[in-house]
Order: sequence, then C-alpha cells, then structure tokens
Amino acid sequence: MKIIIAGAGEVGIHLAKLLSKEEQDIILIDADIEKLQRIDSNYNLMTVVGSPTSFKVLKKAGVNNADLFIAVMPFESRNITACTLATKLGAKKTVARIDNYEYLLPENKAFFRELGVDELIYPEMLAAEEIVTALRRTWVRNWFELCNGELILIGVKLRDKAQILNHKLCDLTRQDNYYHIAAIKRNEETIIPRGNDELQLNDIVYFTTTPDHIQDIRKLTGKIEVDVRNVMIMGGSRIAIRLIHIAPEYIKMKLIESDREKSFKLVEKMHDTVIINGDARDIDLLKEEGIKDTDAFIALTDSSETNILACLTAKRLGVAKTVAEVENIPFISTAEGLNIGSIINKKLIAASRIFQLLLDADSTNVKCLALADAEVAELVAKEGSKITKAPVKDLTLPKDLTLGGLIRNGKGIIVNGNTQIQANDHVVVFCLDTAIHKIGKLFN
Amino acid sequence: MSEINYRIVARIIGILLCFEALFMLLPLSISIYYNESDIEAFLLTVAITAIVGISSACIFKRHSNQMGKREGFLIVSTTWVFFSLFGMLPFFIHGSIDNVTDAFFETMSGWTTTGASILDDIESLPHGLLFWRSLIQWLGGMGIILFTLAVLPMLNSGGGIQLFNAEVPGITHDKLRPRISETAKRLWIVYLSITLLLIILLVLGPMNFFDAVCHAMTTTATGGYSTKQNSIAYWDSAYIEYVIIVFMLISGINFSLVYHAALGNYKKLFQDEETKWFLFIVLLATAIISAGLFISGQMYGDVEKTIRTALFQVSTCITTTGFATADFSKWGPFFNVIIFCIMFFGACGGSTSGGAKTIRMVILLKNTVNEFYRHLHPNAIVPVRINRRVISYELVSKILAFLFVYVLVMAISALILSALGLTFEEAFGCTLSCISNVGPGFGRMSSDFSFEIIPSFGKWVLAFDMLIGRLELFTVLILFSPYFWKKS
Repeated sequence: MKIIIAGAGEVGIHLAKLLSKEEQDIILIDADIEKLQRIDSNYNLMTVVGSPTSFKVLKKAGVNNADLFIAVMPFESRNITACTLATKLGAKKTVARIDNYEYLLPENKAFFRELGVDELIYPEMLAAEEIVTALRRTWVRNWFELCNGELILIGVKLRDKAQILNHKLCDLTRQDNYYHIAAIKRNEETIIPRGNDELQLNDIVYFTTTPDHIQDIRKLTGKIEVDVRNVMIMGGSRIAIRLIHIAPEYIKMKLIESDREKSFKLVEKMHDTVIINGDARDIDLLKEEGIKDTDAFIALTDSSETNILACLTAKRLGVAKTVAEVENIPFISTAEGLNIGSIINKKLIAASRIFQLLLDADSTNVKCLALADAEVAELVAKEGSKITKAPVKDLTLPKDLTLGGLIRNGKGIIVNGNTQIQANDHVVVFCLDTAIHKIGKLFN
Repeated sequence: MSEINYRIVARIIGILLCFEALFMLLPLSISIYYNESDIEAFLLTVAITAIVGISSACIFKRHSNQMGKREGFLIVSTTWVFFSLFGMLPFFIHGSIDNVTDAFFETMSGWTTTGASILDDIESLPHGLLFWRSLIQWLGGMGIILFTLAVLPMLNSGGGIQLFNAEVPGITHDKLRPRISETAKRLWIVYLSITLLLIILLVLGPMNFFDAVCHAMTTTATGGYSTKQNSIAYWDSAYIEYVIIVFMLISGINFSLVYHAALGNYKKLFQDEETKWFLFIVLLATAIISAGLFISGQMYGDVEKTIRTALFQVSTCITTTGFATADFSKWGPFFNVIIFCIMFFGACGGSTSGGAKTIRMVILLKNTVNEFYRHLHPNAIVPVRINRRVISYELVSKILAFLFVYVLVMAISALILSALGLTFEEAFGCTLSCISNVGPGFGRMSSDFSFEIIPSFGKWVLAFDMLIGRLELFTVLILFSPYFWKKS
C-alpha cells in the first residue's frame, strides 16, 4: 500500500516509523528539510521536501496513485487543503487532523466528503474518550476491545492484595480457564510469559478474557472498583473541555485553571462545572477544594512534568485514580513506572487511530495495536496452515509469541495448551517486536 | 550505544557468501562448456565458499534484529574483504596467479572496479577465469550489497538503509521508491538493461560473443578488465571504440537519472547540473588533449582517429574505467597532468565510477567562488546552489572533509610506495589510479598495465586504497577510529 504522510511533526514521524515496519510504501512530505533528514537516512521510507499544499510537491510524491493520504500538520486548514488537493490529484482515501469539534458532527460528514476529506482525526476528542473509559474502569491500566468486544485485553498492575501474586503461571492455569496471561511488563521490559514464570509485585499483567469474566479478573487481582462521582481536572486544555462535554451526567467535575482570563472564558463554555482559578500544585488549594472526596484526579496541562508531579501529589492525598497527560514520548515509560493510573498521549492516540483506519482499509488480515514494546495482531487461520495442525501445546511456537484467544463463530474463546485452532478462527496473537515476521508463516 | 550485534553481522556475511558461491556457478559452467583446466579450481572454490557461507548463516541463525549504523559499516566493509578473499581462490587454486598477494590484489581490483592487473599475459587464462574477472567487476560496479538488498527480504528494513548508505557512492542518496528493496531492484534493472544493450551492440561489431559479454560487463561497471592484453586496442575498430565511449559515459552518469530518462523523463537528465559539468569536462579535456597531440605532432593516423583516441582516453579515465586504446603516459608530462586531474575528479555520484565525483568538485568550486565574494561582502548570504537547490553549509564542510581525507590517504599511500622504491610519478600515479578505481598505472607500471613489479607490501597498500576508494573513505576508515569500538 502506498501511504503519503504530510507533516513530519511528532504524529507524522511516529506514524511513518510505525508503518515503515509494516511493509508499506511510505512517503513523508514536509517543508523543513532538517526534520526529514534524520528519518530519511534511518528508516525504510522516502521523503519529499516541500509544502504539502503545493500541486508540484504532491505530484512529485506521486499522490496520483496513493492509497492513503494522511495530513497531520499543526494547522487544520492546511490539512484540509492538502487533503482536498490530494483527492483531486487521485489519492484514494484521505485523513486530516483537525482541531474543531464542529467538523466531527455527523451532518458535516457529507460536506467534508465533497471537499475530498474522507476521515477526520481530532486527537483531543480521542483523548477525552480514552479518559472516560479510564474513569469507568478505574482499576484497569489499559483496556482494549478486540474482535468487536468479544475478547477484552486488560492491563492491570499487581499490588500486594492480588491473589495471584507470587504464583507460577502453570499453577494458575489449572483453575477453571476464563483468562489467559498474554504479557507481563516488568520494569522496562515486556515478557511473553511461560509456565514457570512467576508473577511479581508491581508487574503490569495483560489478561485476555471474555466480557462476562471481567469482574473475576478484578477480584483475582485484588482491585476495588471505585465508582467515580467526583473528578478534579487540572488545566483547562481542549482535552478538558471535550472531556467535560462527553462525560456522563452523574460525574461531578471541578476544573482548576491557573490563568484567570482563561478561567472566565471556560465559565462561558461550561454550565454545570465548577471552575477554580488557582494552581493545582498548591496542596492547600487542593484540600480546600475537597481533594479528600475526589475519586479521580486528571492532569491535563501543557507541561508533562507538572502533570506527573500533580498526579503523584493527588495520589498521596488519597485520590484513587489519577490520569496524566504526558506529551513527551520518552517520558511515558518513566511515568508508567511511577504510581500514576493512566497515561494519555494525544500523539500516540492519534497515530493508533489512523493506524486502525488504515488496517480497516487494508485487505490483509493482520491487525496490530502497539502495546508497550509488544504487539497484538488479529489473524485469520487459513485452511491447512501450520497453526491448525496440532493442539497449541504441540505446536512448538517461538518463545517470543503467544496466542491470547480466538473468535470462533462470533464467540470469544480463551486459548490454552489443549486448544486446537481451526481454519477460519480469528486468533489474537501477542508477540514481541522481534517476532512479527514469524507470525505470517504460521497462519498462511 | 550498545554492543555491536556481531551475530547479525556474521549471519548476513554468511548469506552474502552463499550468493557469491551461486555467482561462481556461472564461470564454472563456462569452463565446463570450454572444457578447460579451471573446472577443478571453480568446483573447489564453490564448495569452500558455500560451506563457509552456509555454516556462518546457520550458526548465527538466532540473532536480534538490532542493526544500527555501526553494524552497517562493519557488514559492508568486511563483506568486500571477504568477497575478495573467496573470489581470489579460483586464480590461486588454478595456479594462474601463484601467490596470495597477487591473487588478492587482482580480485580486490576486480570487485572495486579498479581494473589494475598484475597479469602480463591475459590471453593465456582459460575462459572461465576471464569471465570470473569480468563478472566480479560487474557485480562490484553496482555493489554486491545493493544486489542483496534487492533480493533478500530480511534486509528490507531500517537496517537495509544503513547498508545502502554505507555502500552507494555520492553525497546524497536518491531513493527511487519508498522501500529500499524496490529502489535496489530498479537500479539493478537499469544496470542490467544497459549491459544487455551493450552486449548486442558489441556483437554487431567485430567482437565475438564471449568477449562482448565480458567487455559489456566491465564497461557498465566502469571496471576496465579486458580479455586481451592490448585491451580495446586489440580490435582496432572505430565502431567498437565509439560504442564503448558512449556506454562508459552513460555508466558515469547518476543511475537514478538514467532510470528517470529510461522512463521518458529526459529533461531531468539534461537539466542536471552535475551531468552538464561532467560532459563539459569530458569535452574540454578531449579538446585540449587533441589540440596538444596535433601541436606536438603525435598524430594517430588521420584527424578523426586522433580525436577519437583522445576522447577514448579521456572517457576511460574520467569514468575510471581504465580501458586503453593508446598509452597516454608516453604522450608527455602535460598530458599526464590532465589525465591525472580527470582521474581525480571521476564521474557523477550515484554511478558505478570512482574518484572524488564531479558533484563534489562542482560544489567546492562554487563554494570557493563564493568565498572570494565573501571577502568583499562579509555579510552576504551566498549559498552554493545545485540544480537551484541550496546546499547546506554542513554538506559543504562534509565534502571539504572528504576531500582532505582523500588527499591525506593519497599522500600517506604514496609515501609508503616511494619508500618501497617507486618514483614520485609512479607512487602518486598508482595511488590515484587505485583510490579512484581507474586502473592504468604511471611510469613503469603503464606499459602492459601491469602492477606486477610493485613489492608485495605495496600491493596490499594499493588494494586497501581501492577498497576505501570504492566505499568512499568513511565506511572503511571509520572502523579504524576509536569511537567506532567504544561502547558508549
């Protein structure tokens, strides 16, 4: 597939790197040669210097036979222009990153189609949606629905209350089988566990399970479901505004914004949210505003460091769930190691959303979602492929991949050693980065 | 930086050696066809190379995919050395070259498309060995790594890019397609098409099929190995000389431009500044040499033949091919200086030729002109422009560094050679000829093209010059810098 990415910002570069590993033809356009040079000499892709809103540059990049055109420059008007030009020049599908909620409304969809923009990505909206999911399931770190929600992937950090702590995996699997431990993140490293691996304190464990067993997983890990009713938000960013708009009615929001002018503007936009003008790093202020009764603290300022620190403070003051926006990608793994509930990164969210769009369009049957340094792929087992030849335990699978679960006739099933994969099963595979190329061989 | 991933280096070199063994089957089948004395030599070499290659590839099957710049440099440099070590076995086993130094020199000269030879009776070699000599030049011309990038899906990744950058000459690398394997495939298709076209044109002239294939391969590679001791002069045919001149010049042009031209985009080729300069230098040097030959009374028959002879020597030297239809070293010192200069320049970046490359010289010339202007207008912003694009100061300083190292390596190498008893002219001439991958020698080495009389240590130095010249200095020299081996 030929994919053209306009704009070598953080989202653009992240996407380009991700996709160039997936055997796609990637062309990255940016007006700034400096931004392109490094990526050009290190990654398997082509770069074109020039403005993505110029006919000449777009033609040079070969937009006429592009399967997908992605505009992720910092300005939405440029993105829309670039997509319009690209469509007129022959790109099959276009995606533009936008900053305006209005554009997403269903009644405007046809209008943007006419303009030549097929899909709109609003990273702030996606981030807000992710925060809402995090508030609904406070005990979960990561939550992915696979195969239309038939299988669910849950990432949980193990604390000392967890029943399964210090148990070997082979002992756990003897019990009735409603989950599969697909991966463990320990310190900086992601492990695909084997039977004799032991679960340790502070591991982030990734379970696959079916929707009716979610509560069992919660009990197994000794987590308490907190019913979030009072939320404190720090920083009146666009994500905060979107979040307040889409959050369920019963959740009471309190927004702390340090800029006075901005606070007044926020008041205009929001009716039943309390806006406090002040610095949320001030402990007295937090106490005054009732941090003790707050169920969740969400830090959404522009500064990643401030967000991380504020969340740590809130946690110390007894808040059950914290969410921090961390925009510096290198900080994320550090932040995950600290005691912060969920990490939000607009760029990664936007990139993975585009990635999903792309996979829907692609005819191949591999779906991947980036998860730490491992990947999850959904594959269809072909008739007569190696994977269908024997029960899983006799397949001698490579050590760096594991089968999480499968969907047969629209129903989620957890895989164990005795499972026999059949042709046309949708299988969820976990693998470390190094093992991706091995998967194809097993299924075809 | 972490530890160098030696396992992947060993595995890739193993796989590459398997490719070399496969290519050796071609000369083997030729020697079987002619039923000559070198069958045994090739059989043995194929077996040795394949065994070493397969075992290295299998032993290191389990490796991490981590491949950075350092692995790239290491793989490319050592691959060229290994290929020469195994490539020399047929000559050595057959006995046509009886010592390791000479065999290594001859093979390295082949892979790097230098064309300098220690053989003084080429016609006595069996067909299989003659073909092998031409084939290694042809493979070395476009680059053995580039070939593997085209066929090995394992390298179609970020690691492949490192290898591509480390091997392909030129200051910037144009990617023809987003994926490196596709770029490599297209370059090879262009290369193969040019070669096939040349074979047809040569067969139409007074050349037999075997010689046509060998010469076509060494012409497009700008290598210069011939199957005859007298090189192209053996045929004494105007047709063959003109055909080879044209194809040497085409092979001296950036292959991505040739690719675009082949697709119908001629404009890009003829508007390219480097190509224009390159052709200009060829014409200018030809004009000066022809005029000089007339004035000094060294005519070759009629006027046409004199000009043709001048054009042929200029083309062969500037594209660093190294064929000959006349012995330019006998013309006199004036002509030698001109030839020396164009050997130094070389042809265009991204071609199969060696030398410093026209593009570098053009950029430095423009930069020098700007420097004069800046003396009068210190605050003026006067960038170097190539094809109307501004060349950054970083690139200019990179080129300056390149040229400095080029001259430095030449000086050191010439110093060693002169200590071994070569004259001033011979020491500098042979060094330049090897580092620019041209081939013909100066002084005593000019007659019969033979470097045989150089002491063996000198041959190792020159073989090393060829390697660093072919890989454009830094890829090889960086292995000798302490930074490369430091862990952090």
